[in-house]
Amino acid sequence: MNVPIEITVNGALHREEVEPRMLLVDFLRERLNLASVHIGCEHGVCGTCTVQMDGKCIRSCITFALQADGAEVTTAEALAEGAQLHPLQDAFWEKQALQCGYCTPGMLMVCEELLRDNPRPTAEEVRERISSNLCRCTGYQFIIEAVMHAAEQHGEGPAAQIAEVTR
Amino acid sequence: MKPPPFTYHRPTTTDEALAMLADAGDSDTRILAGGQSLIPLMNFRVALPDELIDINFIDELDYIREDEGCLAVGAAVRLSTAERSADVARLAPLVSEGLRSVAHPPVRNRGTVVGSLAHADPAAELPALLLALDGEVVLRSSGGERRVAAGDFFEQPLVTSIEPGELVVEARFPVSDGHSGHALVEFTRRHADFAVAGGVVALRPENGAPRQAAIALFGIAGTALRAGAAEAMLADDEGADAREVADAAVGEIRILGDIHGGPEYRRRVARACVERALVRARGGLQ
Amino acid sequence: MSVASHPPTRELADERKWVGKSIRRLEDPKFLRGRGNYIDDLRVEGMVHAALVRSPHAHAKIVSVNVEEARRLPGVIAVITGAEALELADPLPDFGPAPDKHTWRLLAAEKVRYVGEAVAAVVATSRYVAEDATDLVEVEYEQLPAVVDPEEALKPGAPLIHEPLESNIAYERVFTFGDVDRDFAEADLVVADRLRWNRSGGQPLETVGAVASFDHGTGMMSIHTNSLSFTSYLFMLANTLKVADNRLDVVPHPAGGSFGSKLWAVKVGAIAGMLSKATGRPVKYVEDRIDNMSNCDHHGSDRIYDVELAVTKEGLMKSIRIKTIDDYGAYMQFGVGHHGNALAQVTGPYRIASVQYDLKAVVTNKCQQGAYRGFGSEVNNWMLERMVDLAARRLDMDPAEIRRKNFIAPDQFPYFIPTGNVYDSGDYEQVLDKALGLADYEHWRTEQERLRQEGRYLGIGMATCQERSVFSATEFWFWFDEPAAPVTSMPESVTVRVGPTGDITATLYSCAFWGNSPETMVAQLIGEEFDVEPHSVSVIYAGSRNGLPATGPGGSRLTVMLAGAVEGASARIKDKARLVAEHMLEASAEDLEWVDGGIQVKGSPGSRLSLAEIAIQTHLFKHQLPDEIESGLEASKVYDHPYTTMPSDDRKNLGVFYPIMGHACHIPIVEVDPETGHVQVIKYIAVHDCGTLVNPRSLSGHITGGTVQGIGTALFEQYIYDEEGNFVTQSYMDYLIPTAMEAPEFVIGHVETPSPWTVHGIKGGGEGGRMMAPAAIASAVEDALSPLGVRVSELPARPERIVALIEGRS
Repeated sequence: MNVPIEITVNGALHREEVEPRMLLVDFLRERLNLASVHIGCEHGVCGTCTVQMDGKCIRSCITFALQADGAEVTTAEALAEGAQLHPLQDAFWEKQALQCGYCTPGMLMVCEELLRDNPRPTAEEVRERISSNLCRCTGYQFIIEAVMHAAEQHGEGPAAQIAEVTR
Repeated sequence: MKPPPFTYHRPTTTDEALAMLADAGDSDTRILAGGQSLIPLMNFRVALPDELIDINFIDELDYIREDEGCLAVGAAVRLSTAERSADVARLAPLVSEGLRSVAHPPVRNRGTVVGSLAHADPAAELPALLLALDGEVVLRSSGGERRVAAGDFFEQPLVTSIEPGELVVEARFPVSDGHSGHALVEFTRRHADFAVAGGVVALRPENGAPRQAAIALFGIAGTALRAGAAEAMLADDEGADAREVADAAVGEIRILGDIHGGPEYRRRVARACVERALVRARGGLQ
Repeated sequence: MSVASHPPTRELADERKWVGKSIRRLEDPKFLRGRGNYIDDLRVEGMVHAALVRSPHAHAKIVSVNVEEARRLPGVIAVITGAEALELADPLPDFGPAPDKHTWRLLAAEKVRYVGEAVAAVVATSRYVAEDATDLVEVEYEQLPAVVDPEEALKPGAPLIHEPLESNIAYERVFTFGDVDRDFAEADLVVADRLRWNRSGGQPLETVGAVASFDHGTGMMSIHTNSLSFTSYLFMLANTLKVADNRLDVVPHPAGGSFGSKLWAVKVGAIAGMLSKATGRPVKYVEDRIDNMSNCDHHGSDRIYDVELAVTKEGLMKSIRIKTIDDYGAYMQFGVGHHGNALAQVTGPYRIASVQYDLKAVVTNKCQQGAYRGFGSEVNNWMLERMVDLAARRLDMDPAEIRRKNFIAPDQFPYFIPTGNVYDSGDYEQVLDKALGLADYEHWRTEQERLRQEGRYLGIGMATCQERSVFSATEFWFWFDEPAAPVTSMPESVTVRVGPTGDITATLYSCAFWGNSPETMVAQLIGEEFDVEPHSVSVIYAGSRNGLPATGPGGSRLTVMLAGAVEGASARIKDKARLVAEHMLEASAEDLEWVDGGIQVKGSPGSRLSLAEIAIQTHLFKHQLPDEIESGLEASKVYDHPYTTMPSDDRKNLGVFYPIMGHACHIPIVEVDPETGHVQVIKYIAVHDCGTLVNPRSLSGHITGGTVQGIGTALFEQYIYDEEGNFVTQSYMDYLIPTAMEAPEFVIGHVETPSPWTVHGIKGGGEGGRMMAPAAIASAVEDALSPLGVRVSELPARPERIVALIEGRS
């Protein structure tokens, strides 16, 4: 029996009917064609499916779509404004904070929330915060550098405290 | 790994939810709060509920307040809300501290305090915190309400003394004196994983009298446990050697093992956790 | 010997404009925006979804499969059993020793051989419904005794995984290189140990997936998938699917990571293809995480070693006897190629004169091995470094000192090792010294002493190992005296097209994007050739159907091979451009030179044509050119392995098969908690020599990521089967991938000793991080616990295992 829901996603209101068991990740990917939300483990450990609900990061693979009824959901598609990348995206690009790109949208969601909560994080704070999201490619170093770089560029963040690579 | 189908109910009041529970009959009906434990089990098709009652839209269950000397947390309160709450920090600083060890922030943004208690995972922090603080849960059904002390609530892994038709509506943690010393120390394979073993120590001063000590263990048995023998040791001698207290705490427990640690290994780790928690708690008293 | 036929365009480092620059990657913008076009993003009109029914048993006969109830579920389009699949598809391509005896099929028909092996496939309108239907398939099994210990599997009377093999030994042979007996007789000391490396795997965050469409009208089988490699072998996949080779098109999509596990990952695409043919609909099959962990065909090496290292009392290593049993699981898709990777660098960076290699490849009731970053050479690195550390301890030598003493010296290259492979170039002392410097080695030794007084255990690890790159075809078949297919091709192709406006497009073939940077590499190489901004280059990934011969990533070969292909194609373009310029400038070839992205008359910079001017001429002004010049400005190069030689008949010399040899030194700093056995990696120094670097930061990223995977291998990750063969680690709650909190802060250094045999002197480097880290971490843990006399001889060194070592148990 389908259930009606109203979800605002990236600023646009959607009225849809969903099977109760439909996971939010599948709703966003299949119904709204938001391909940035990725499926990694489907049991809430890897964080690849991370989106924001009412400004807070959640794992969309262990959330039913109807639990987001009435909420505002944000995905990585909301970060860039047309041709203009979000400062975090630009920092990720500059610092090569991605290789395969699969963890990247979820990671960007976590980092965006982090910088909103804490515009001047230390490298240790960044490291702890991103530990909710697995990355199999980068070993995390360049992701931390990218967040520190974005913080520095757009706030009064401390200079990157993590050792930079020699080249 | 898609969940199986179920019938969905969305009550907006507690009474509505209780009526739905009462109607459940033989169907496998569960409560959907944060879903951070339930939904993974459903994605694995290990949990196959026929019906889910979603309590996330019951506003009257969303409260944090002080009530009769207790911190009272309603069933809809998210772990992250409790973690950030100034009231929780003031009334039950041990809970505040312990919440930071519960999974990762995105899980805390959906999971609930009461949900973690009702789920009763033996490796979870909240049952141990409730136990250490001599807290209780409030169970309500369409027939009435009862309170169950932590020690009587957790029965087996993932099994509590809740009866059919009952809903856990509130968790109650006795308010801590601001001078208490406390600590939660756990050992995980990776940051924020389920605890291989953990210890909670709460040292509460009693004006002039020897301090009350509570020591709770988690991750090593079927439920969180109080370490009575170790507490007695501290009651006798509040300056007892931390290592000996820890030995007493883990000495006689029958410990379970899994791929993350066999029984004797967990005993060793639990002992280390208790010892370190006791040292930290004593440090907090000064 | 066949050397690179065209010398690099520029020889000197300071003349390079783009090679050597850490530019932003071409690949990133689409991934940053969430428009990566991964396989699960693909929607095709009429597409339906598949899910698999997996065996819950490690070893069992399939007595019956009842699909009636499943077929009746609304939304179910088809249910195909293993028995039905016998007719629909032939066995999968198998490069193992005896494909007709360890036959590998899409679905199991007569018996299952590991937990997770698929016995039926459901096709339905959604993945949700498909899974509902898999729950309704009733399979009756007759359980058989399972064997999961390779030594048990060797015993007479052990349950047979493949009856036709008549034992569980898929391959066994002893190789002797050099005079091992004499070298052992002349040694002063023999250190021996038994070592155990347990299996882990790539576990990328994206699983393998495919969308297959069989068109009954045209007979075309189109498979979109996140795996494409070895195009010349795809006729074998066409065979499996019972379609003609020229009716199969495999179209690559970017992969969300691979680390080897998407190398030739054809089963998923084949299942989707079979189901598409059977149903007449496009079928999407994407593994879920349980599928991927239990049924991926890409578990890593699983080895027992009994090793003896012969040394002199001065610490010179003379010879090594290696006996290894490798548990391959239930099938043998890549044969024992993993040991070829080991033999390519079996003696490490040391002047060890002789080697005995006694190999037994055993089948058991586990998922089969595939590829995992290092492909078996990382295991050899670990084993060898463990023995070097043991010798150092016995001789009371400093770990750096014993290594230095045995290093191959810079003037000894090209250096042939006992197996016959060659190391092209290197400067191992320079790498070691740089690492020690960056590590602030003395500071940490002082710290270690200070912390010991406090009862804390800090350790400093060291590993100096090889990282081979660019494999030859011979390592697939030199295992046999009479190989069925002694193949020798190992191609990589690039087509470079210059459009009318001078814009350049490069087409890559068989090219999987895995998170490596093929677009960026090619763009920088083309930028170097034509003096264009790399970001102006457009890169296409061709499907197999219109593909030139190519192999794709693997064995850290891709950048070297793309460089050869780019150089070759660019040279052909420049040759044609020169002909056009001769005509347009009315000059002769000797008077012309390439300068700043154009051709000019030597000494007369005013007489010049840009690439764009030449290009438009070729595209649009045919009549103004000599007759023999065809329109357009495009060229391809099929580049092949730069240096391969054949093995000797007696196999005492395997020839040259992995000559482009990098090297690294890793120095991790760890702290071990003796109560819990927890190891925290505090800081990690890694210095790699991968020859000339194209994009240094990109390599640093791979080193960092690979090292964290190596930390996972060393401390956290294992695919665990219990005694009955139950697969215990079926989720990320039990298979522990390191998070940022388990990863250390890195200090990365680079040394560049160019290869004499590759374009620009580039060497491969994608695997190196993981090839060093397990050895380095084991060494660090041992160093930390040396006051307690602990020896780390098994990985992963889980906390419980470390506590057991401390407590003195085995």
